[in-house]
Amino acid sequence: MTWLTWRQFRAQAITAAAALAAFAILLAAVEPSLSGVYHSSGFASCHGAVCTGLASTFINDLSGGGIAGVPVTPYMIVYFLSIVVILIAPAIIGVFWGAPLIARELEAGTFRLIWNQSVTRTRWLTVKLVLIGAAAMAVTEAFSLLQAWWAAPIGKAVGFGGGASIFGETRFGVFVFPTHGITPLGYAAFGFTLGVAAGLLVRRAIPAMAITLAIFAAAQLITPLIRPDLFPTSQTVTTIAAAGANVSLKANPKLAFSVTAVPGHPGAWIISSDGVNAAGQPVRTMPAACEATVSRAFGSHRGTASGPGSTALNNCVASHGIRVAESYQPASHYWPLQLSETGLYLALALALAGCCFWRLNRRRS
Amino acid sequence: MTAVIETEGLGKRYRNLWALAGCTLSIPAGHVVGLVGPNGAGKTTLINLATGMLVPSAGTIEVLGGRPAAGSAQLARVGYLAQDAPLYAGLRVADHLRLGAHLNPGWDAELAHRRIGRLGLDHRQKAGTLSGGQRAQLALSLAVAKRPELLILDEPVASLDPLARREFLQDLMETVAEQQVSVVLSSHLISDMERACDYVIVLVDSRVRLAGPVDDLLATHHLLSGPRRDPASLPDGVEVISASHTDVQSTLLVRTSGPVLDPAWTVSEVGLEDLVLAYMKQAAGSTRRHDHRHLEVRK
Repeated sequence: MTWLTWRQFRAQAITAAAALAAFAILLAAVEPSLSGVYHSSGFASCHGAVCTGLASTFINDLSGGGIAGVPVTPYMIVYFLSIVVILIAPAIIGVFWGAPLIARELEAGTFRLIWNQSVTRTRWLTVKLVLIGAAAMAVTEAFSLLQAWWAAPIGKAVGFGGGASIFGETRFGVFVFPTHGITPLGYAAFGFTLGVAAGLLVRRAIPAMAITLAIFAAAQLITPLIRPDLFPTSQTVTTIAAAGANVSLKANPKLAFSVTAVPGHPGAWIISSDGVNAAGQPVRTMPAACEATVSRAFGSHRGTASGPGSTALNNCVASHGIRVAESYQPASHYWPLQLSETGLYLALALALAGCCFWRLNRRRS
Repeated sequence: MTAVIETEGLGKRYRNLWALAGCTLSIPAGHVVGLVGPNGAGKTTLINLATGMLVPSAGTIEVLGGRPAAGSAQLARVGYLAQDAPLYAGLRVADHLRLGAHLNPGWDAELAHRRIGRLGLDHRQKAGTLSGGQRAQLALSLAVAKRPELLILDEPVASLDPLARREFLQDLMETVAEQQVSVVLSSHLISDMERACDYVIVLVDSRVRLAGPVDDLLATHHLLSGPRRDPASLPDGVEVISASHTDVQSTLLVRTSGPVLDPAWTVSEVGLEDLVLAYMKQAAGSTRRHDHRHLEVRK
């Protein structure tokens, strides 16, 4: 079975290897100049407090000086493309490796040939799922590791708070989180088995490909919404004064806070921040007594409070006993979250594989 | 003599349509059995059930005493050549032989290579570029080289031209003689079956209308022609299968174990094709009252 699996998979394996090689060559070609900017900005060799400023310098150097007046640099293009490749690789694998795996056998009638050799259908599918599934995970993870190697200085700069524009996402970011660490393994396994299951249920390769793509895209869109809850969040309640510069008030028109960092938890992923009263109950309206300061703080347009008026507003809101309740994932939750998300997708992949085995042996032909 | 295929009240339903219903039959070992019947009789469905490509909706089926496709051991005992001889179009002839060798513990590599050599197939040629006859031969080689006890062929020659058809059947006959394998082959081409089979089963409307060794069937059926008369006037032990009358003459196909002695009749031999057609026609007449809706299963 191993030989046959390889023989039927050979062309796809070569395509994947070629894509991976092209990806590596592209990144390797840009790497020396990226490294040059990294060193010339001074960020590579910084120590201590100066790093925050140098991180911004480095990111600005990467983002500035676009070609022919277009505010886009090769670094931005490669960074964007490399993230996109890792995001869509599991979908491509599901569509081109997964969906035709059984569907093509059903379409061509070759299932009658192969299911009548001295090998049970269960074993036939097990070998295919394990070998090609492993290849899918390995290829996707290889894309991810190559990108992580290439973008390591950028990640470091973002960690120092220097992130901006396209390089603005922390490692909890919507695009960065699912393309780094171990999550690509889960997505690859899910994408592949999703394709296989769709092919077996629909029995035709092309519709199965479309279904695979649609479901995978939906899963990718839904996941950021459930990601904060994949691991228990940490909560903290601080006074507005203690939060200091990390908190700014919003009144549009309700009372809301914008929190950029959790004191004592650098690199935390802030999920929500709400005003609460002394009893811990949420407060969503501006105290009436502070309305006067609101108009001073925001002027005609009500956005995030800034300038001298904002201090008065902060003081006014604080004087009414309103504090900031923050819900966040501390940096230490990065790997538990990675494990949860990867585990979720691996579990889905296993469920889909189980569905395939059940279907294969129940309703034959 | 044990049965290679034994069914009891076997049925297969697709939603509310029965492709096969209440089929009870026993196919003996050691024969080349021709399974004939009109389209929609349930031949392909029966074969799909026997190879485990389908699971029954009703009744039971045993193949060589086991449940079809129950495990690798059972799979190894049955060779199956599906309709239209499916092969991997992108794989070479040699790849198909390697596939067979890898997936069958009882693979007879020597036999496979001898057959491919005899057929003159190029090992490097892709299966998708083979002619229909070559495809059928390669597929048969795969089914035979796993050294099964029972070989099941579903309409193996239906898509072949007359020459390829003759060559295929010739090759099949030689293989059967060499390998001592039981064969069940379905066809609606009775003339081909006459050449290849020594046992025939006529399946109409899921029911066995006629079953037996070809020689016995031909010896007990006679075509009678003579002056017009009522078929009911024939003696006991003579069963009329079909009758046609003109104003003055009657022609009867009868089944009888003894000789026909009445000098009013001219007795002549009947060919297998006429015999089988007579049974199909008889069955069609008798079952028209049933409101069965049938499906022709091609896949």
